[in-house]
Amino acid sequence: MIVLDRLTDLYGACAIADAVRRGEISAVSVIESRLDRIKRLDPLLNCFTSVLEDRAFEMAARVDALVAAGRDPGPLAGVPFGVKDNYDVVGRVTLAGSIINRSRAAATADAVIAQRAAKAGAVLIGTQNMDEFAYGFTTENAHYGATHNPRDVARSAGGSSGGSAAAVAAGLTEFSLGTDTNGSIRVPSSFCGIFGLKPTFGRLPRTGTFPFVHDLDHLGPFARGVQDLASVYDALQGYDSHDVACAERPMEPTVPSLDDCAGLRVATLGGWFDDMADAQGRDAVRRVADVLGAKRSVSLPGTQQARAAAFVLTATSGGNLHREALRARAADFDPATRDRLLAGLLMPADAVLQAQRVRQVYRTEALTAFRDHDVLLAPATPCAAVLLGQPTISVNGADVPTRANIGLLTQPLSFIGLPIVTVPVANGALPIGVQIIAAPWREDVALAAALRIERAWLASVPVAEPC
Amino acid sequence: MIDEEDVERLAHVAGLRIDPAHLPGVMTNLRILYAQAALLTTPPLAAEVEPAPAYRA
Repeated sequence: MIVLDRLTDLYGACAIADAVRRGEISAVSVIESRLDRIKRLDPLLNCFTSVLEDRAFEMAARVDALVAAGRDPGPLAGVPFGVKDNYDVVGRVTLAGSIINRSRAAATADAVIAQRAAKAGAVLIGTQNMDEFAYGFTTENAHYGATHNPRDVARSAGGSSGGSAAAVAAGLTEFSLGTDTNGSIRVPSSFCGIFGLKPTFGRLPRTGTFPFVHDLDHLGPFARGVQDLASVYDALQGYDSHDVACAERPMEPTVPSLDDCAGLRVATLGGWFDDMADAQGRDAVRRVADVLGAKRSVSLPGTQQARAAAFVLTATSGGNLHREALRARAADFDPATRDRLLAGLLMPADAVLQAQRVRQVYRTEALTAFRDHDVLLAPATPCAAVLLGQPTISVNGADVPTRANIGLLTQPLSFIGLPIVTVPVANGALPIGVQIIAAPWREDVALAAALRIERAWLASVPVAEPC
Repeated sequence: MIDEEDVERLAHVAGLRIDPAHLPGVMTNLRILYAQAALLTTPPLAAEVEPAPAYRA
């Protein structure tokens, strides 16, 4: 059921921006309505780690002043958004879901892509809950509590960007900015039933975000519709020399070509991606494949090794990043994070180098597949949203630990940096996501295919009204 | 099979002291990591396969 709290509530980033730009609604009234909704629902959901009420009203008033003066307030004028807790927000200590970081200095500037969103007129209203240091898939944080899935509050919102995804699903923000190292945008998109974009590795600068695995960290947006997702993504693009992994590429806007997906060569991913999915995930892929006219299934050799390599690289790099804190104050970590990071610190260099070489081999396999295909499809998660605290999930006929295995279908793909849009498919009591995977730097292709799915009414994502 | 003594020895070499209360959890995770790392050795990689990161001067 869609519940709009006030007449000033409009649905979606583009709709809000259009109304604000035309002067039909004030940015301040939009922010007021969202803050009211946060006050009502966030005690139940725990999406936010901080709500920036004063700042939000100030920024919204600036947008309204521009409109009143006849000046351009930007393509996202007045649109409320949130950022994951690992994004810098000026004047705030970037905690990244930890208490370890409390001793750090406050940020002196917002994260670069949050600055770009604000420059486009969007209004930041808060920071959002996550697994500690982004190391998890369920947003069950020992320090700040679990984020509850607005579609069923007994269930996980997914992670590690769970607060960001749940806020969008519940209509607390129109979009959110998260991070994805092994699936942390795609998993919560799947569990919460919204759209998420993990761009190509190196596309969006990570400047001003707290790292997890330098070689694997991506930033990207969540939204409830593809037009919104693409519009936000376009506003975030651009090179930044302060991120050494950021590619020097020109802006490549995707909104102008969103309607252009004729003649796409689409295939489903078999092998690992079929074996590790459940019946609902397979059915969701089949439905998306039918809409996109996919006729073939292809396998990527070495997917199990790619997933293993991502797993090893994550623990070792994360352990390396946090070595000093693990040495001095291990007891202050979330236990679920601490033991994995400590184990990572004890791994031999041979395993790390081998993982990086496997990465090169798997990249070649994927690029070979993209010679004959524009889009590949795979489920985003092995199952729909799990219960909070659920110890195991069933995968390929075996009960396996939940936290370590929710990323089975996302990890191999972020490992090689491919752009992926997760689309929600409502084919069960809870939605499940399908990954629309494109060749490197072809976010435009993935977004166009996602729009076609949305228009086929396969991906329907009403605002969740938790109770 | 890795046991808690192995974990303590590795930690000593790495200059870490792991709280005894944390040893079982670290041991479990180290076993998982070694099992995953074992998957990376078959099939053997060609000598020409370079690590993925590309340093640019």
